[in-house]
Amino acid sequence: MSQMKHTSTFQLIFRHELTILTRDRTLPIVAILLAAMVLGGLFVGITQAKQRSAMIAEVIEHSAKRQAANEKTLQSVLDGKQALVPFGNPANPAALAGGLAGRHTTLPNLPLAALAIGQSDMVPNYYRISYLSKVQFMYDTEIENPWNLLSGHFDLSFVITFVLPLLVIGLSFNMLSAEREQGTLRMLFAQPMALTTLIAAKASARYLVFLAVILPLPPLVLLSLFPETRSMDSLLFMALWALVVAGYTLFWFALAALVNAFGRASSSNALILISGWTFLVLILPIVMNLVVGAISPAPSRTELASRTRVVTADALREYEDMYSTDYRYASDPETLAVKDGRIEVPPRMRAFFLAKQRVDAQVEPLLNQFDHQLLEQQKLVDLIGFLSPAILVNEALNLVAGNDSRRFVAFKNQTEAFHNGWRAFFAPKIATDRATTRAEMTALPVWQRQETATTTTAWRIASRAALLLLVSFIIAIFAMRRLRHGQIV
Amino acid sequence: MIRTIALKDLREIIRDGRMLWAAALIILLSIVALASGSIRQSQINHERAAGQALDYQAWLQQGERHPHDAAEQGMHVFKPEPPLAVLDPGIEPFVGSTVWLQAHRQSELKFRPAQDATGLQRFGQLSPAWIVQVLVPLLIIVIGFGAISGERERGTLRQLLSIGVPARQLLLGKALALAACACALVIPVWLVFSVVATISLPSAERLDVVYRMLWLIAGYGLYLGFFVFLTIAVSAMVRSSRAAVVLLLGFWVAATLIAPRTASEIANVIDPTPSRLDFNNHLSHDISEAAGEAWKSSFGVKEQWDPSLPLSKWGAALKVDDHAGYGVLDQTFGKLWDTFERQQRFQQWIGLVAPVITLRGFSMGLAGTDFAQHRDFSTAAELQRRKIQEIVSDDLVAHADTLGNAHFSYKAGSKLWATVPEFKYQLPTIGFAARRYWPDLLLLAAMFAAAATLASIAVSRSLKRMA
Repeated sequence: MSQMKHTSTFQLIFRHELTILTRDRTLPIVAILLAAMVLGGLFVGITQAKQRSAMIAEVIEHSAKRQAANEKTLQSVLDGKQALVPFGNPANPAALAGGLAGRHTTLPNLPLAALAIGQSDMVPNYYRISYLSKVQFMYDTEIENPWNLLSGHFDLSFVITFVLPLLVIGLSFNMLSAEREQGTLRMLFAQPMALTTLIAAKASARYLVFLAVILPLPPLVLLSLFPETRSMDSLLFMALWALVVAGYTLFWFALAALVNAFGRASSSNALILISGWTFLVLILPIVMNLVVGAISPAPSRTELASRTRVVTADALREYEDMYSTDYRYASDPETLAVKDGRIEVPPRMRAFFLAKQRVDAQVEPLLNQFDHQLLEQQKLVDLIGFLSPAILVNEALNLVAGNDSRRFVAFKNQTEAFHNGWRAFFAPKIATDRATTRAEMTALPVWQRQETATTTTAWRIASRAALLLLVSFIIAIFAMRRLRHGQIV
Repeated sequence: MIRTIALKDLREIIRDGRMLWAAALIILLSIVALASGSIRQSQINHERAAGQALDYQAWLQQGERHPHDAAEQGMHVFKPEPPLAVLDPGIEPFVGSTVWLQAHRQSELKFRPAQDATGLQRFGQLSPAWIVQVLVPLLIIVIGFGAISGERERGTLRQLLSIGVPARQLLLGKALALAACACALVIPVWLVFSVVATISLPSAERLDVVYRMLWLIAGYGLYLGFFVFLTIAVSAMVRSSRAAVVLLLGFWVAATLIAPRTASEIANVIDPTPSRLDFNNHLSHDISEAAGEAWKSSFGVKEQWDPSLPLSKWGAALKVDDHAGYGVLDQTFGKLWDTFERQQRFQQWIGLVAPVITLRGFSMGLAGTDFAQHRDFSTAAELQRRKIQEIVSDDLVAHADTLGNAHFSYKAGSKLWATVPEFKYQLPTIGFAARRYWPDLLLLAAMFAAAATLASIAVSRSLKRMA
């Protein structure tokens, strides 16, 4: 058979297949179903992302308002106009570091956040910073009904990871077996055509329809609605997203082709493929979750709680004298006035500050262990992810959206560093009773975040896409070999 | 006759080796889930009980201290995991287990296990409940989709008809075979677990667990029965086995996989959950408003912690401030928690098309791992915190306020600490769950009855068509 002839046979079957599937309405139904779910999932993702962006905007606005109010109060305190309130006096560094701070660290959405909700419904994307201990603010979580967290969201990542393979299976479980059952396979053999060409053409026709529905839709919606998705980086991530989805879809078509190549009955094929799906998508990730937790367990939270209490008690004891000092400001409010750049920080407030600082210094190693362990778990997931394409694709989609565990851990680490910096800024002032100056008020530590380098993330996604494609090709090659050498009819 | 049909079907199923493999996998998974769950639970409960006792001891032995500072140290209380959480962990991975009872503000339960896990956690948690809710129905479908259609295709249905098998007996025989398969997968493992769990419990709690197991068996039985009859009904109604398997699998995917997620999205749209920021802002605003009013009426001052209030009134002020907050806290948290419960109740009704949702709520309710029971613990913990606050404030009024500006130099001793009782939380009994979840059991029974009726009509019709 010449190469020319081969191509034309392929094209013939390809076109023929599209016509048949369109005429019997299978293809339009599947395509519409897929498109509806993709748009539905995208809608859910966009709603969530918008909510989170709105939250960040609100937090930033709140911080700015707080800053302006503090500047104004400080001005009038320094001018001697303001009545003095111990907790509301920004000239007092202990008050400014604590209740008055109004500082937040924030983790903005990445432009493609709508593509996968990931961990974003559970882990906070902002923290309120003051001199309070980490134990007191780092474990605040976003409010969400635990029932809904358990159910999970109907987002695009769910549609791709769980539902897309089922549609692929529904469309391709009988690619070959139906021909045999209808008796048309023998007729096809009368044609000068290889079985591999037949199945390659049939699978390709279906595959391309799938890609034509799923690949352009989300990028088009995002590009038209959100200008921030039009940057070079975002376009790169969109391309990688498409590669991941294409690889994952190919995996399931290759698997369907392989199952068809064994020449069993259609219902048998359907059952085998459904079992495969159940195993790879439902069972394996859940079992792996268990395995990861068993191999690399998180330290005990109960122990952390007990330890925190012990350390707090120690700190209370340590600063006992300061805690017990009388509050002179009540009878003598002038003690709170700023004199020559100095202010009397009430010893009780200083004790609070010092106690929290001490608690953190002692609990921090334990807290770091939690983050460390989570990263270890993540490394394990990266390692065993290749066992299930569902894990691979889920991780990759979360990476594209910037809602993966790693990004949240990094945010938490940076928040901790900022919190330390915030405290270090105030510690000497509180220790030496130095009043906040106007210049300092406008030069308070500012939250700055370091995003993971695009290339690192891109590499992580690309490697997963490559792995998916590689596995798909291997399966496809197996299927082809089987078709060439096996007895089908 | 019923027995003959059932036995014949069972023999066929057993001969087909693939079913044995699937069954073995399910049983293996159940055992792994139970074993790992039991180990984890005994470890956790042990740790939590020890932690709580340690905190209380430290409270008692904290030495001389200003009572308000004592409240700063406070104590931790931990939520005990109910014994059946091993069967169905419910929402446990997504709620905290620890509260630090401290001065000033109601705090929420911290440390959700899911926070210490990777994104894999979102695929689900391996538990016996998940296996029965999701995997066993799939197996019932796979085994039973050809129950009637297969007989028709092989021509054996006509033979059955010719020897005068009544439709009812045919249906019951087929159903019995499928039910037997499902039971073989579930009952031995669950039975061993219940016996072991019951024995290892103190005798006072045993009966409660037995009742819970009976309710659970009823619920799961109706659920699996629904799938048995649905499978037979579809198998009798459609033209070919292929159509039956496609329809049934489609239903399974839609009902167990897609419906729970869609339901919670819809519930969230209809009855939205507030964001943390909104919630906190509301709470702070309402508390300071209520407190402001209380301060004004009690002390005639303009605002909370007004500097004009002498320190000799500090203990009294603390009490007024706390009391002003309690109402707001109850209202605000109550509203949020009501929202959660409403969202869940709404979803339970979607169980009318996707029974797994109803069963899931029912199952975690009876296992003691639902939100209502989480709420019960949170409320109990908050009451304990208020008890501490009350004792502390009363003591401040009696002793510290008399010292004027030297208010904070007052120190109380172990006598005062001992007046705070140890926190002893009693897990709610079966009555708590039964009161909430009997409608769900009825709903499951209705679904079961509907499927049985459908199957009965479908089978007799398909026999009539033959004749």
